Amino acid sequence: MEVINARSALLSNYEVLTLLKELESEHLARTKAIQRIKKEDEASGKGVIPGNNTTVVETSENLRTVEVEAIGYLGADYLPTSGQTPEGITKLVKALEPYELTKTEKLQIVNLAPTTPVELYVIVEELEDRLGERMDELLENIQTIQGTSTVAAPVNGVSEGAQIIQEGEGVATWANPGGFEEDADAVYDEDMFDDTGEGAGVEGDLDAEED
Amino acid sequence: MFCLSVIKDKIPIHPQHFSIPAEETITAELNKKYANRVLHDVGLCICVFDLSKVGEGKVRYGDGFLWYEVTFRMVVFRPFESEVVVSKVKSSDEDGIRLTMGFFDDMYIPAMYLPQPSAFDPNERAHFWLPGSELTTATELLDTPTSERMYIDQGDVVRVRVEQDEFCDDEPGPVKVVEGVVQEKARGRPPYTVVCSIAEQGLGPVAWWNGAQVVEEGEEGEDAMEEG
Repeated sequence: MEVINARSALLSNYEVLTLLKELESEHLARTKAIQRIKKEDEASGKGVIPGNNTTVVETSENLRTVEVEAIGYLGADYLPTSGQTPEGITKLVKALEPYELTKTEKLQIVNLAPTTPVELYVIVEELEDRLGERMDELLENIQTIQGTSTVAAPVNGVSEGAQIIQEGEGVATWANPGGFEEDADAVYDEDMFDDTGEGAGVEGDLDAEED
Repeated sequence: MFCLSVIKDKIPIHPQHFSIPAEETITAELNKKYANRVLHDVGLCICVFDLSKVGEGKVRYGDGFLWYEVTFRMVVFRPFESEVVVSKVKSSDEDGIRLTMGFFDDMYIPAMYLPQPSAFDPNERAHFWLPGSELTTATELLDTPTSERMYIDQGDVVRVRVEQDEFCDDEPGPVKVVEGVVQEKARGRPPYTVVCSIAEQGLGPVAWWNGAQVVEEGEEGEDAMEEG
């Protein structure tokens, strides 16, 4: 074994979580396949040699352990990772560009999605000198792009919008953020549809053959 | 927190797996070998990310395995220095706090990296912090009323800064046998430890800082917490 580059690239929590979830679904499909083969063999009356699966590779125990535990950590509700989308992260990183943050600072902002100034202080060094007045603007950006699921208090813009609607005036100002959100949703839905389509197809096939 | 490492290795594939596409079996073998293990000076391996280069499979003298020379990328857990991560308190003792991330347990906050002044309460088995207090010695701190103390309890979600990490590669040594019975070895040092700090504004249990929402300065944050 030879380590060529110990740290060739940094990964965000979201990327790791997606990869692990893919592995998990692959593993589930595989166990299903193994069960199906067993059933077929039993039905045809062939003698089954245990541990001699020549068509399916078994997942190692170590991988399963780390997979399940890491998904448990990354999917926890105190981390914003489970609510993130690829589009949201791309937007967030683009929105972070004008603030001249370092690569690692951006990564931590994506991973932790700070909602309060205190959290941002910890991540960004010399926050006040570098950002000054723009800090609140940055936090607001993070909140709007990150989605409001992790934020306890409603974002200013949203509550204002709600008031306007109640008064029945100024619908135009409300329509703008609304339209923006709908757009984001649409892109996200399209992508997700592709993913679930693939997975569902595989599962459907297996089920059909089992019956 | 996670990064990609490029690693090169030779992997044997058992003949019973020859009917499966080579890419699948190689990935499975690599995961079997590396997943959930600590690589010295690299980090804790999670899983194979992708295969970048796979050579021709060769049969060597002595067995029927196909040996592949593989260059691949591995997802590795290795937080960089000064990175901020969120973790959970696993246990506390006089020397400090042990943290867990579910898949990784060897994270510690030594007592010197706790916010000052702080002390260990042996009754609660937990460390506590007395914000804004003038007291310094542990005995004085333990005389204070419990209501003023900010405890770091087991299971608390804490935000910590990574200060340093350390790899130990201990030799296993000879097997100890007493009266013909193989003795199980006491667990030595963990192969990979991460030392963290919470001695800073904004670090520590997440709940401490949630109350201080519209705070501009760290000092005001302290005030807000004392009230809360």
